[in-house]
Amino acid sequence: MTRPPLLEIQDLRTYFYSRAKEAFIRSVDGVSLAIAPGETLGVVGESGSGKSVTALSILGLVGGNPGVITGAVHFAGGNGASGPRNLLADLERYVSLTKHDGRIVAVAKDEPGWRAHVERALARVRGKQIAMIFQNPKSSLNPFVTVGQQISEAVRLHTGVTHASEAKERALGWLERVRMDSPRLRFDQYPDGLSGGMCQRAMIAMALASEPSLLIADEPTTGLDATIQSRIVALLAELKSEFGVTTLLITHDIRVVSRLADTVAVMYGATVMEHGPARDVLAPGVEPKHPYTSALLASLPSTQTNGRRHAVDGRLPVIRGEVVDTMNVPRGCRFHARCDRITDAIRARCMGEEPALATVAAGHRMRCHLHPGEARGG
Amino acid sequence: MAARELALTALLLLGVSLVVFVILNLSPGDPFSVLLEGQAPGHAARASVHEALGVPTTWYGRYLAWLGNIARGNLGTSIRTGVPVAGEIARAGPNTLYLTLGSLLVTLLLAVPVALYSASRAAGALARGLRLAVYLVSAVPVFWLGYVVIYLFIHRFGVFPLLSGSAEPARHGWLYGLLPIVVLGVANGTVSEVTRHLRGELGRVLTEDYIRTARAKGAPVWRHAFKEGFLLPMTEMIASKIPFVIGGAIIVEQVFNWPGLGRMVWQAAQDRDFPVIMGIALVAAAFVRLASLLRAVIYAGVNPRTATD
Ligand SMILES: Nc1ncnc2c1ncn2[C@@H]1O[C@H](COP(=O)(O)OP(=O)(O)O)[C@@H](O)[C@H]1O
Ligand SMILES: [Mg+2]
Repeated sequence: MTRPPLLEIQDLRTYFYSRAKEAFIRSVDGVSLAIAPGETLGVVGESGSGKSVTALSILGLVGGNPGVITGAVHFAGGNGASGPRNLLADLERYVSLTKHDGRIVAVAKDEPGWRAHVERALARVRGKQIAMIFQNPKSSLNPFVTVGQQISEAVRLHTGVTHASEAKERALGWLERVRMDSPRLRFDQYPDGLSGGMCQRAMIAMALASEPSLLIADEPTTGLDATIQSRIVALLAELKSEFGVTTLLITHDIRVVSRLADTVAVMYGATVMEHGPARDVLAPGVEPKHPYTSALLASLPSTQTNGRRHAVDGRLPVIRGEVVDTMNVPRGCRFHARCDRITDAIRARCMGEEPALATVAAGHRMRCHLHPGEARGG
Repeated sequence: MAARELALTALLLLGVSLVVFVILNLSPGDPFSVLLEGQAPGHAARASVHEALGVPTTWYGRYLAWLGNIARGNLGTSIRTGVPVAGEIARAGPNTLYLTLGSLLVTLLLAVPVALYSASRAAGALARGLRLAVYLVSAVPVFWLGYVVIYLFIHRFGVFPLLSGSAEPARHGWLYGLLPIVVLGVANGTVSEVTRHLRGELGRVLTEDYIRTARAKGAPVWRHAFKEGFLLPMTEMIASKIPFVIGGAIIVEQVFNWPGLGRMVWQAAQDRDFPVIMGIALVAAAFVRLASLLRAVIYAGVNPRTATD
């Protein structure tokens, strides 16, 4: 990567505490990623691998039980800002961690202080510099406010437009840009009156309306009908070439990533397994590949010639085995129990030692004992 | 839609009046025996009273006569005093309105801050303590609190003289006016449920996807949570708790000798003053109905989608 990244995540850890099981759910466990300006980074991985929590951690939107967020999120957005700023800075003031064997075993946290700090730290970032769209567009829009008003609100909050009529014109412009049919009619409708696809277009319009430097799209196509999905993907591709907004695209659907992403990160068991240019990571046959990535690619319906996958109740073929339990992360490689590439030579290491995220080619990193590369970072 | 609501309201009031009338007629005692007090009236004496007053002898005859008067906007006259019921209600009504609305305000002033605080700090010790306090307060019977307050303020500390509510108190009049409101507001038994409902709804709404969207876009969470998390549960609670508050008002008016409809209906019940009881029952039912109409209007106004169901 030559340009300095717009967003750089370093060793992000987000843990939830489960009172019932008296254990930490390590939803994000040492994720490091970077996005260059103008680039689309696709984060792909099975459901439960920690993609959403990673995204929510960036914007301080993680809900639920008190837990831990450590690491750094350096963000260089904002016009003429003085270098990147760590969005997670000073959070450690509100927590005291007890570690044992390098693992966090207890947390004492000033929850109100923490929350107030997050709100303050992200006040000028949320929406304005980093906008986010979600899965379930219908429930993600406020059902009590018209679609148009929700978009105008984003315009008025973040673009310096204060006149209601001008904000409305801009909002209508965005509705047109996301190819909403009859925008003037939709403007005054409530989300309830719109289809899922239209709601997602409205969400995208709302996110872009504040002209952010980074767009986070968490499963933007999941839960929509197949035809609607491909239309939303086409829209995102179109917007990408038109506006070139830097995007963190999160999806479990590898086809969406392969259509839109420049760089791909493959997540498994709360951490990044492979990270590199899309053509290297996703192109079939290009080596080296992480065994998990190979398995993901092999599970696609279009590569049905491969004998390793099998269909589960008639739906998409899946990778054999259980997704790793982030409460009891196994020793060694997180994927070893499901890995079919383990050789006798490395078996002991796969089961006993977690591989580092090592550089295997320019800009291409991998966490696998098969491809030790030159170790760097973790 | 409005026509349908009006028809429903008329039907409801008709039903309430019929039920109350039947209960009154089934219960022992005759309103007109009041006029024969001190005598041992025989059947003939009663019949002559009925005849002298032009009152039908069957209960449904009397009900139809009452209905006919209502249709002409006439609530009848008090059997005991001979004064028109409508005038009596108009005189005492504002006192009760003040008591019910005022105590509802007190209830909300107690419940809302606790609900808001504990919705945002669910795990805090203070929030838990407050919720427990509210729960305990709700268990206090309203008459008991009323007597305690009267004992403390009048007999113990002599803040103001013992008086009948009709006369204007000389000192601390405002305080005397506030006491029943506070007593009814605290002890009408709804504080804890109002708190729980508000807190529950707000807590639920704050975890909705669209609130996360609001946070992500940097919009004030309150602006987005207000309607579903505050306005609707508040409306719901006010509309559904008004009957309880009215019930409590009858007791509080007794305890404080408050010149409102509650004391009036209590007195009328002892006198079997049917027209007064019927008139007040009708007004109370209309008031409750008004509250639920208001709720329907607010629900419809908040979101056109709900207007259809
Ligand atoms: N608020 C929460 N409390 C406890 N566990 C959570 C919470 N949010 C997510 N998790 C857990 O964290 C893991 C990762 O979740 P997520 O990031 O949503 O996965 P995905 O990759 O499908 O987006 C899952 O096992 C999930 O159950
Ligand atoms: Mg997810």
